[in-house]
Amino acid sequence: MSRFLLRRLALGLLTLLLVSVVVFAATQALPGDAARAILGRDATPQRLAALRAQLHLNQSVFSQYGHWLSGMLTGNLGTSAASQQSVSSLLSGRIGNSAFLVFVSALVAIPLSIVLGVWMAMRRDKLADHVGSTVSLVLAALPEFVIGILLVVVFATNVFHSLPAVSLIPPGDHAWQHLNDVILPAATLVLAVTPYISRIMRGSMIEVLESDYVTMARLKGLPERTVIWRHAVPNAIVPAIQVSALQLAWMAGGVVVVEFVFSFPGIGAALVDAVGNRDVPVVQALTMIIAAVYVVLNVGADMATILLTPRLRTAGR
Amino acid sequence: MTEEPRREGLDSPLTRRQVLHGALVGGVSLSAGGLLAACGGGSSSGTTLTSSSAPAGKLKYGGILRVGATGGGAKDTIDAHNPTADTDIMRVWNLYEPLAVRPPDFGPLEMLLAESIEPENGSTKSWIVKLRPGVTFHNGKSVTADDVIFSLNRITNPKAPMVGATAIGYVDIKNLKKIDNLTVRIPLKFANAAFPDDIGQYFIGIVPVGYDPAKPVGTGPFMYQSFTPGQQSVFVKNPHYWQTGRPYVDQLVIIDFTDSTARVNALLGGQVEAIDNLPSGQIAQVQGNSSLKVLISPTGEWQPFTMRVDAPPFNDVRVRQAFRLIVNRQQMVEQVLSGQGRVANDMYSPYDPAYYSSLPQRQQDLEQAKSLLKQAGHAGLTVELVTADVFQGVVAAAQVFAQQATGAGVTVNLRKVDTGTFYGPNYLKWPFAQDFWATREYLPQVSQGSLPTSPFNETHWADPTFIKLIAQARATVDETQRNQILQEAEKLEYDNGGYIIPYFSNQIDAYSAKVGGFTPPKSGFPLGNYWFKNVGFVA
Repeated sequence: MSRFLLRRLALGLLTLLLVSVVVFAATQALPGDAARAILGRDATPQRLAALRAQLHLNQSVFSQYGHWLSGMLTGNLGTSAASQQSVSSLLSGRIGNSAFLVFVSALVAIPLSIVLGVWMAMRRDKLADHVGSTVSLVLAALPEFVIGILLVVVFATNVFHSLPAVSLIPPGDHAWQHLNDVILPAATLVLAVTPYISRIMRGSMIEVLESDYVTMARLKGLPERTVIWRHAVPNAIVPAIQVSALQLAWMAGGVVVVEFVFSFPGIGAALVDAVGNRDVPVVQALTMIIAAVYVVLNVGADMATILLTPRLRTAGR
Repeated sequence: MTEEPRREGLDSPLTRRQVLHGALVGGVSLSAGGLLAACGGGSSSGTTLTSSSAPAGKLKYGGILRVGATGGGAKDTIDAHNPTADTDIMRVWNLYEPLAVRPPDFGPLEMLLAESIEPENGSTKSWIVKLRPGVTFHNGKSVTADDVIFSLNRITNPKAPMVGATAIGYVDIKNLKKIDNLTVRIPLKFANAAFPDDIGQYFIGIVPVGYDPAKPVGTGPFMYQSFTPGQQSVFVKNPHYWQTGRPYVDQLVIIDFTDSTARVNALLGGQVEAIDNLPSGQIAQVQGNSSLKVLISPTGEWQPFTMRVDAPPFNDVRVRQAFRLIVNRQQMVEQVLSGQGRVANDMYSPYDPAYYSSLPQRQQDLEQAKSLLKQAGHAGLTVELVTADVFQGVVAAAQVFAQQATGAGVTVNLRKVDTGTFYGPNYLKWPFAQDFWATREYLPQVSQGSLPTSPFNETHWADPTFIKLIAQARATVDETQRNQILQEAEKLEYDNGGYIIPYFSNQIDAYSAKVGGFTPPKSGFPLGNYWFKNVGFVA
């Protein structure tokens, strides 16, 4: 099993390297450069030349990439072209805020969807199941910014005025110091991912409930509670874990849109801004982080699957 | 969003009556176009003006004013001489001050740090600036002639030219002369009567000798406390501000918003007291809320179509004339601006006393356009129009134009690019594109965009008679005489120029009824020139 994991990790690192090359190439393919983006309309030839020299944009593409890669390997993310601050100081607070937002959302969404999935499976084809399925389909079909805006209309601006419409976390403060500002964005993410996980959970739970060993357990006279939570759920949960991992990874990227709606000071806004500014060091750092989240979550999900599946768990021995 | 530093220029605002008249003239062409019924086309420019200039007596001192600003990001700056985005411009207006500036109503140049800016011995080739005595910087140092010389040198430094470098590029920097502690002589490389307007701009703020943007010091009504790019800036009241009784509030917080929906939501949710650039689609929603107010002002801002007069097919003046006749201007105001603007006549600088308002309003005339194109050998012409989201409504205007052009048998292929591409290496080279400009007087605008030496001459306009007239006007001190010369120049552009100027757009902002003191900004700078010194909580 450890060999399997090592191989997965090595592949993950290779993926990250490839992503960095592709993203770097893509930023180079974008028309214009950081100097032009920063000066915008005021880009007179004199000002462009002065700023390009200041930002080292005159160097060749390869030396720029090599410079970035060697910095990355030594833990130096470089300097943001747009703000002239170090990338790590620019992003550290934002990464914390986004991570907290995703963490809180996952903490609510995953248990909630598993319970919902089980509950719907047990009431299969009854009214509750139909209502639950319809609602989750509708939610899954709505883009998350629509959900976000609906929540703002209901809870912040038009119906109730109980929660802040935008998350104005003061610079220097952390999201966890302003929980009020996290509620609506987190709720948006929860509503966006819960339908997927709960539907998968419902599906696999229905399959398990029809299996022979559940019938066997029931025939043995075990209490229904034990049948469900000891026998059925552990077997039904594996597909849900894989989907949860994918959804979590999606959240790391999808948080971009939600942060935009709420002006939440996280990596999403920073990424959109950095692409607009052609701020290559920041774009690279953020895409690396998001790609790393994907890789780690996938490896993590594989690990969890192995641990929960006795056949796989013992295969390597 | 607005990437352009807005510069301004000379005198006297258009009267309300003229504004309404313009709208009415447009109304005639509206029925001719006939396409408007669907748009409802009710409110014309200027009629929904919400004036809020609450008398100063009604405001109380104290409180924290939070303002939601458009855009902002990692490239935000607090440098006095390098403002690019709206948020930068907002900061600069409140921390620093130039020698003089056009007030929000675009009336005569208002003296700030200068007491006077006069031509020396009746020649517009050399100017004497007398400073207001007793003004101090935020660090307590007095403002002197040395600071003026330092600031102008910093702006035009050839190694790192600032935003203002092009506007005052003709100042003879090497020969700036301190006459006494409060007097400076500013010689120019050529005579220019518009010099006070060129130097009287927000990005030519006076900073102390040795200025360091990391510790920003100016003379403005607010002093720096903190600044986080892309998030917020916190400024505190300058207790020694030279204008007595200002500012009202103790603290000013400027908050960046990349998304306009979030900005409006912050206002609706009471998290900010004012926002700039309210999307016209949301006017009704804000007006329906009794605790909020909408600030609508006509401006001299224009978003032209730019035809290169030296590139085919536009090198034939008949094609340019035909294209100007294709536009149904009133329809454009309704469809693109939801009525928040007024019809223009292919000329800029409507508030300049030299504005040639008696030239006939150009109307849509598809037959005439077709016949001009036929004469030019371009019947059934196909052109490419390059457009980008550089200013609210620009892309929509391109779409409306393309649709109107079909009436004259012209096929307009839209090529929408992102802003980076638009202002990329091909900027100022597109044969047919769009752009946007701030409210400015005629001569300063000409320096920016209508001479071969201008930094932003999109149309490559280089008419020899025009160039001669401009040089003549710049050297003319007498205003009446100068304005006559300028009208001749305007007539040339009106007849043969490369701009299609369909409308002047309105500036729309919103604020909470808890605060007051905003003046409708004809200047086009949101929230009354961002002059938060005049804003306070209602007593």
